Amino acid sequence: MDSIHDLGGRQGFGAIDVHEAEEAFHEPWEGRLFGLVRAMSRPADWSLDWFRHCRELIEPADYLTRPYYDQWLQAYAAMMVNSGIATVEELASGKAKMPASGLAPPMTASDVDEARKGNGNFEREINEPPLFAVGDIIKVKSDGIPGHTRLPAYARGRRGIVEARHGAHVFPDANAHGEKQAAQLYTVGFDMAELWPEAKGRRERVFLNMWEGYLERD
Amino acid sequence: MTKHDSKDVADIHTALHSHLPSEPALRVKALESLLVEKGMVDPEAIDAWIEVYTDDIGPKRGAKIVARAWVDASFKARLRENGTEAVKDFGIEQEHLQVVENTADIHNMVVCTLCSCYPTPMLGIPPTWYKMAAYRSRAVRDPRGVLDEFGVQLADDVEVRVWDSTAELRYLVLPQRPAGTEEWDEQKLARLVTRNSMIGTERDLAGRVGEVA
Repeated sequence: MDSIHDLGGRQGFGAIDVHEAEEAFHEPWEGRLFGLVRAMSRPADWSLDWFRHCRELIEPADYLTRPYYDQWLQAYAAMMVNSGIATVEELASGKAKMPASGLAPPMTASDVDEARKGNGNFEREINEPPLFAVGDIIKVKSDGIPGHTRLPAYARGRRGIVEARHGAHVFPDANAHGEKQAAQLYTVGFDMAELWPEAKGRRERVFLNMWEGYLERD
Repeated sequence: MTKHDSKDVADIHTALHSHLPSEPALRVKALESLLVEKGMVDPEAIDAWIEVYTDDIGPKRGAKIVARAWVDASFKARLRENGTEAVKDFGIEQEHLQVVENTADIHNMVVCTLCSCYPTPMLGIPPTWYKMAAYRSRAVRDPRGVLDEFGVQLADDVEVRVWDSTAELRYLVLPQRPAGTEEWDEQKLARLVTRNSMIGTERDLAGRVGEVA
């Protein structure tokens, strides 16, 4: 979707806070929210891609101005309401009016050691062979995608070279909307000048992971 | 049952915006109270997660991997070939890990323009700047300008490679080993390696040799 989360190449956001203190959490509530999200029981039909989509659906002004973990809170709160396990009123008051049914009991402190391991494998078997080979010159499709996508707008319509193939991976554009699909995944390299006119002559390249459906033969 | 309906979620966001408490800390407190009451979260498990990411999972893990790669050529070859398998030597699980190596002619930098993907098992919680608009917007358009802001001046003939983490692949930069450390052991070398050098917003670790020695 074409919203403000798709930040690559946008201008005017000012200086980077390069002197930020190097610590995991700057405020106690940040750690609290992070830990809560990791520890909570959740519906089996939630996914990382659905979370990302719910985060990018936050109103643009909030997305740009709210602290990072506050955006997590807003996304998870919206997901709970959407899944029928909490209401806006409950989230506002912190008081339960109804039970959250159908959920597994939450993990305990002693489960954390096991749960902290690994981030899951996203590779999947599919029957269709890959359409592109390493070294192929491809063009990224020009159209925007209305739902969730991992195709950043700055790459649309640009030419690049297939640098690597990774087999088929879970396709986020479908997974975010509750559909289990997988598609061939590639790494595509772009010259900076192909992406941005002012970069002509600079020795710079950008590498993106792209699913097959984002690409066409040049 | 999750509806997976974008319009529904957008409307919920609007309602949450006007009804939730005004401060983030209060919003988190309300959420935790609610989930405890509903039996959806155990506060002791929250404490345990905070402890893990405050004390254990952080950039020191990545630094050990880099130091091993500097002293052990066969480990480095395995790390470049299949990062996921190689970091198991350190008890770290990271699927789809790609280690990208800096050389005299190449500088690598990692970003996630769409959200905040980061090699967490090796580097811990990402810095806030990594997750916010200024870095995410500029890294794929003006990486030399970004590096300059971090105090890194790159010669024009060094190629910058920016890795935008749009899938579940995770990138870790292998910085160059600075001169003057030929006699150092792995443990001492690991103390040289900074978080930013593994994201690619720092390049030359030579300036730290005197400090660590």
